[in-house]
Amino acid sequence: MKTIIIFIVAALAANSPVWAQSEPYKKAMNEAIGTMKGHTDKTSTADLVATANQFERIAGVEQKEWLPRYYAALNYILLGFTGKDEAAKDKYLDQADVNLKAAEAIAPDNDELAVLKAYVAQARMVVDPMNRWQQYGPLFQGGLAKAKSLNADNPRIYVLEGSSLMYTPEQFGGGADAGCPVLKQATEKFASFKPASDLSPMWGQKQIEPLLVKCPK
Amino acid sequence: MGINYVLFMLLLCTRIAPAQTILTGRVTDQKGHALPGANVFLRGTYDGANTDSTGNFRFPTTRKDTATLLVSYIGYEPFSKKIRLGITAPLTIRLTEAANELNTVVITAGSFEASDERRMTMLKPMDIVTTAGANADITAAMNLLPGTQRVGEQTGLFVRGGSGEEAKVVIDGMIVQNPYFSSMPDVQSRGRFQPFMFKGTSFSTGGYSAQYGQALSSVLLLNTTDKTQNEGVSVSLNLANAGVSYDHATEKSSISATGYYGNLKPLFALVRQNIDWTHVPEFAGSSLTYRLKPTKNGLLKLYGMYSDSKLGMNFLDPSNDAGKTAFQQRNRNFFTTSTYTDSWADGRWLLHSGLSYSYDTDATTFDTQDFGRSSERAQGRLVLTRLFGANSLLVGAEAHAITIRNTVSGTNYALHDNYSALFLESQTYLGRNLAVQSGIRGEYSSVINRFNVAPRVSLAYKTGTFSQVSLAYGQFYQTPDYRYLFRNRSLDFERADHLILNYQLIKNKRTFRIETFYKNYAQLVREFTGQPGMPVQYDANPYRFPVGATNNGGNGYAKGFDVFWRDQKTVKGLDYWVTYSYVDTKRLFQQFPIEATPTFISNHNVSLILKRYFEKISTNISLTHTISSGRPYYNPNRTGELSETFLTDRTPVVNNLSLSASHVMSIRKNFVILYASVDNILNTHNVYTYRYTPSRDGNPEQTRYAVGPQSYRSFFIGGMIMLSKKAKVNINEL
Repeated sequence: MKTIIIFIVAALAANSPVWAQSEPYKKAMNEAIGTMKGHTDKTSTADLVATANQFERIAGVEQKEWLPRYYAALNYILLGFTGKDEAAKDKYLDQADVNLKAAEAIAPDNDELAVLKAYVAQARMVVDPMNRWQQYGPLFQGGLAKAKSLNADNPRIYVLEGSSLMYTPEQFGGGADAGCPVLKQATEKFASFKPASDLSPMWGQKQIEPLLVKCPK
Repeated sequence: MGINYVLFMLLLCTRIAPAQTILTGRVTDQKGHALPGANVFLRGTYDGANTDSTGNFRFPTTRKDTATLLVSYIGYEPFSKKIRLGITAPLTIRLTEAANELNTVVITAGSFEASDERRMTMLKPMDIVTTAGANADITAAMNLLPGTQRVGEQTGLFVRGGSGEEAKVVIDGMIVQNPYFSSMPDVQSRGRFQPFMFKGTSFSTGGYSAQYGQALSSVLLLNTTDKTQNEGVSVSLNLANAGVSYDHATEKSSISATGYYGNLKPLFALVRQNIDWTHVPEFAGSSLTYRLKPTKNGLLKLYGMYSDSKLGMNFLDPSNDAGKTAFQQRNRNFFTTSTYTDSWADGRWLLHSGLSYSYDTDATTFDTQDFGRSSERAQGRLVLTRLFGANSLLVGAEAHAITIRNTVSGTNYALHDNYSALFLESQTYLGRNLAVQSGIRGEYSSVINRFNVAPRVSLAYKTGTFSQVSLAYGQFYQTPDYRYLFRNRSLDFERADHLILNYQLIKNKRTFRIETFYKNYAQLVREFTGQPGMPVQYDANPYRFPVGATNNGGNGYAKGFDVFWRDQKTVKGLDYWVTYSYVDTKRLFQQFPIEATPTFISNHNVSLILKRYFEKISTNISLTHTISSGRPYYNPNRTGELSETFLTDRTPVVNNLSLSASHVMSIRKNFVILYASVDNILNTHNVYTYRYTPSRDGNPEQTRYAVGPQSYRSFFIGGMIMLSKKAKVNINEL
């Protein structure tokens, strides 16, 4: 008798709206984030698209959560850096913008989204730097400045800023001399940075490791 | 117990063991090709999957009865369909490609765009600045495009047989009254505007939109940027001027201010001049731009500029006994424009509105006589566009109040014109391969009290993935030159009809474009110099003021074709383009006694532009070679039948090879650009036209003067530094 009641309670609870939403959400997110963590720079376009799709499906259900949109956008940004077809890159970045806009509507003034906005601008610029630096350079800087004003301790700001400087030729004010101090700043920020939850953005540290190797110890 | 048991059984049936359905299917494009990586899912559920490399998908769902199946794939229209879940047969979904630049036709006949916004554009704003021979002057850069004429000693754009007066410059929809610095005798003047002010340029070589008027040949549409280009202070210094600019932006607004002082003394000390300057050109000016985003989509832009310039010269004047005449000029120019743009209902409604005012005055001394000239233009414009998917309908109105004053030999002339226009234009896509743009424009000019209605239509058809053909027809009217109206206000509008056929192929960073045109001129103003009743005379003095009788009896034609080829692919790092324009034109207008080819026409114009960026030394090198065939000039020494002698002489070919280089570097983290250019490397002694002195001292032969450039071979150097750390320029992997 007692076991039956417990069973019924458990069964009802499992179907109650409060639980039902967050459990599958967490499960789905953990699964998708797990897939993403397995990605390397050799991951195929198809796999990146699949992961972006996965997050977009979650976003379709969880319309009050900004993180699925965030991760979908992030995957599309990464797609914007791959391949050789300029038109395709722009299409991926357009889709990143769609997700970013949706995320901003849910969570305005969010530092992680500001960082992502800068990231999109950078990706757009890299598609055609000669013709685009004038348009997207200020947007990149603007995104980082906004993120700093919201949360100067977010290490990803310095990841983008530092790596961008590392890839910028010295005659344009880049190079190791300019980039390394910023990358080191990123490392310091990572040491003290506490993500808000285990679903929160955590990327960046691994990405700058190969760049830090080029810096004087 | 009994009740609990029933409850348990109920739960077991309805919830604990839900029935699973497997959904399977395939996603393809309209032609049946598999689309791998498409996102297939049921609305509001986690149930979904991606299509595999063969376009197939398969996923389980616990949903019963019906659900909405959604399919999304980048570059395709989103798909949604209500489905019944009981059915296990595989689903077949065909997606439609979304409209994009590659698969949708664009209307191109007669227009040449330089834009940042469209990928398929043939020219980028940067190209204007980095082209040798253009000296960062927008007009000079446009003169390297197909359909234009290079007329070395005159100011303005000469398009497909049209004179400089037949082309208008439009900024953000507003006609610019004085787009060039005041013209001096036989010297070409630069445009007043900096190329970096604009995010996009559309140069129409004919058949342009019903949105614009008052230009028989062409409009040059310039659209100002929506944001500041840099943050902080930048200083520029070159052989002719020194300038400073400041840019600052916040989230909702931005401000840009510039100031400059120029003096050509240092340059003229180094470059030998063909002109006898009595006061080397000296100029100063400032501009202020303010932009505000008051609402999410609204944007208010205010732009104001003031400039003041002074110069003096002794120019070659055949009519003067000394062979030259002293000329002095002080120009003051003020131009302000404010525009407001907004959109509503997810961009389905668009508003473009603007107000502008300009004032320009020249205090001129010609020999010992004083001449005064001023012009004023106030205008307002309102355009409302409604989008229906890709199709659109726009309606607009504009009104101008223009006042012109002139003093000639002590006599004051003044005119006031209220010009207004109403226009309607629609753009319709009949599928992705065919587009039709049709418009109508009605105009009224109060000074001549005349009204006209001008229809315009353009068609474009996509002939292949990368190619298309376009056709345009339109009627264009222009109020006669105000110099004629001072004396005769019963004149009618001058008119031109354009017919243009265009083919273009853009593939893999290579562009080929050919355009052919026929232009019919009618109702052109004719002036009758000389005594009434006597045979028509031709007065070759370019500085004369028209005082003869006038009517609209003139006409003419222009026909020809032009070719454009640009290749950014074949040689890595090298970008080159070639244009060739051919025009055949004759007119009976102004004081021409018979129909003839005007003096500003050269039948063949060729330009070759080469650009290469050398990454290791971060230097951009550009080479421009232009060739223009000879132009007609009036030779009074010719005797014989007028039809065999009038404007039948031709000047020699004009040839110019120019080189420019710009080098980018960073000094103490400040971004620096250094540039240098050499114009006419080969030191060709080009002749633009000839003028003749009247016969003097019993010598029946008239002596001729050659009119050429200000200087033959010349050079220019300068630099720009962006101070402040914020002004960092990010050129990744440049």
